Amino acid sequence: MDFQLNDCFKQQFVVTPKVYKHFQECSNDRNPLHTDEDFARAKGFPEKVMYGNILNAFISYFIGECLPTKDVIIHSQEIAFKNPVYLNETLDFEAHVSGIYDAVNAIEFKYKFIKPDGKIAAKGLIQIGVLK
Amino acid sequence: MKRAEIISQLNAIFEDIIDEGPISLSDANTVNDVDGWDSLTNVQLIVAIEKSMNIRFTSEEIQAWKNVGEMIDCILTK
Repeated sequence: MDFQLNDCFKQQFVVTPKVYKHFQECSNDRNPLHTDEDFARAKGFPEKVMYGNILNAFISYFIGECLPTKDVIIHSQEIAFKNPVYLNETLDFEAHVSGIYDAVNAIEFKYKFIKPDGKIAAKGLIQIGVLK
Repeated sequence: MKRAEIISQLNAIFEDIIDEGPISLSDANTVNDVDGWDSLTNVQLIVAIEKSMNIRFTSEEIQAWKNVGEMIDCILTK
């Protein structure tokens, strides 16, 4: 396989207005936390909070486009949201190979999204299969 | 690890991965005997077993198993 234990991959992602708008249209989620500045402020946030699952879309891009092989399929994906993400924030994404399961051609990654202030926006595990 | 301990761990892993209620495996069980055990869940099961027991199988070992009993025999060799 094209992976070694502890291989590290890095990307940057930005939650642009286009990303926000397209995700909103795709998900049809118009919860006021994500769409109403006043509502978000009343709940203690400085502005409207970006959809956490935008980060899952970034993971989809990472797995589909950024690995050394295109012969991949996502088996499972876990995410824990730690801090809210806001519009136009740049997120540093880091993933490293945390498990290799040759017998079933599966690879596990541990990943995290880091906000500009150094706080973790989200972290979790991804398991992919390497297609023969 | 004793055989009974392995069966107990496997039951817990299968229940977690397949998520269709209690599972009580026996040596004679095959893929056909456990609802939800298919080729996709099999990958998840193998990964979960390897992680949980800190062991690694080879693809040849997995392909040779005819039933749960042979899977356990293989685990006992690790």
